Amino acid sequence: MRCSDVELLWDEMRSGIEPKSEHVLAHLRRCKTCQHAYEQNEGVAYCLTCLPIVEPPQHLVPKILDHIKSMRQHYRSGVADHLARIASPLGNLHVAWRDTGITFLGIARDEDDDAAVAIIEHRLSRPVRICEPPAWVTGAVRAFFTTWRADLERVDISELSPFERSALHKAAEIPPGEVRSYGWIARELGAPNAARAVGQVMARNPIALFFPCHRVVDSNGALHNYAYGIDVKARILALEGYVGSGAAASDPIGAKVRA
Amino acid sequence: MVPQTRTAERKPASAVLAPPRSAETPSTERFELIVDDYQRRLYGFALRMTGNREDAEEIVQDAFVRAFRALGKMTDEARRELRLQPWLYTITLNVTRNRLRSKRPTNVALDALADPDALLNNTQEGPEQPEAVVERGTDLELVERALLQLPMHLRAAATLRFIEGRSHPEIAEILDQPIGTVKSHVHRAVRILRRILGPQVGRIVTAEDSVNAV
Repeated sequence: MRCSDVELLWDEMRSGIEPKSEHVLAHLRRCKTCQHAYEQNEGVAYCLTCLPIVEPPQHLVPKILDHIKSMRQHYRSGVADHLARIASPLGNLHVAWRDTGITFLGIARDEDDDAAVAIIEHRLSRPVRICEPPAWVTGAVRAFFTTWRADLERVDISELSPFERSALHKAAEIPPGEVRSYGWIARELGAPNAARAVGQVMARNPIALFFPCHRVVDSNGALHNYAYGIDVKARILALEGYVGSGAAASDPIGAKVRA
Repeated sequence: MVPQTRTAERKPASAVLAPPRSAETPSTERFELIVDDYQRRLYGFALRMTGNREDAEEIVQDAFVRAFRALGKMTDEARRELRLQPWLYTITLNVTRNRLRSKRPTNVALDALADPDALLNNTQEGPEQPEAVVERGTDLELVERALLQLPMHLRAAATLRFIEGRSHPEIAEILDQPIGTVKSHVHRAVRILRRILGPQVGRIVTAEDSVNAV
């Protein structure tokens, strides 16, 4: 039996299911290298078993059950948001809407329909159903990509808190191709210490692009973060004509951000 | 709190491991039992995969919601044939993948191989830096971080094998891969961890042994 064979059989050996264990043991007795590798492997496996078991938070189960219960109620009452996949210059978008307006807009990755529905139901805490988008929805999306400005009459964020709504509306005042810092929004809202809270709102922005959280960056101009990946944020900004991304650390961007 | 080790948990866990509950009709009451039965397991798994409690919580919630929806769409026969535990792990893993993909990659496995010290000295702070679940600066924190340095598919294999204690066939079912692939992933994960952890391994084994002896 060769060393390479023996090495591969280590995990079977420890579960006691290796039929050739006698041969392996014989090899181990005479091969110091394999013996050492075995001990090291055992050590690693042992280290992993030593990681503490972390109890889930107590509110987890009630939270899940509440979520499911409200989902069922919504289903029974027939109240659901509609969802469609709409093509755009940024690839497919997931757009959810109700009669009152668009309630969710996100950039699709390669999720299947079930995954998309699950993600968006989780975000909205409501059931969503896939269907064909009406003209006003596709029109609103198309219009955005022509002007890079959204018609905010077409959105419904009534379920967000007043602070969240005003932070998102403030972000919508940033002209396309420009960026502002989290602190700028906080100060504009008269809450100069709330930059972090603004960051949270941007991170949870339900209607990406329309509320252009991608135009909100660090006070030193770094792109910081984006729900769909920082490279996507850079790409959107580039499409809008923002010059100064790329070398995130260099000065020219810093100069462009009104920190 | 006394460090609770996986080895200590194993005995009660196997007793609790009742035969997989058949899903039958996904009534809310029945689903409550499923959530209750599996939330610990899935939370632990998601936590080890992400290194972040908040992520783990959201992932588990998402996973159960997806499971509930999927059960509702299944025929009675499909539900009866369903092997609940591996299926729930698979859903959890898919949700984890989707979630982590949107985050900055924390994978630097190759760098870590070239220079394991870089990993150990990695103090870069930021919102995407996995929080340490165990106490900072301890050897176990190194283990926790080392695991997070593995590429996703190797981390999944190692976590399921050694932390969740699943067998090769079960892991193959969860990951939808041939058993041979699972074995080789487990093996590669261990090799990388060996290189990252290096001499720390011996120290942790000795230290934990003495804790357990007390």
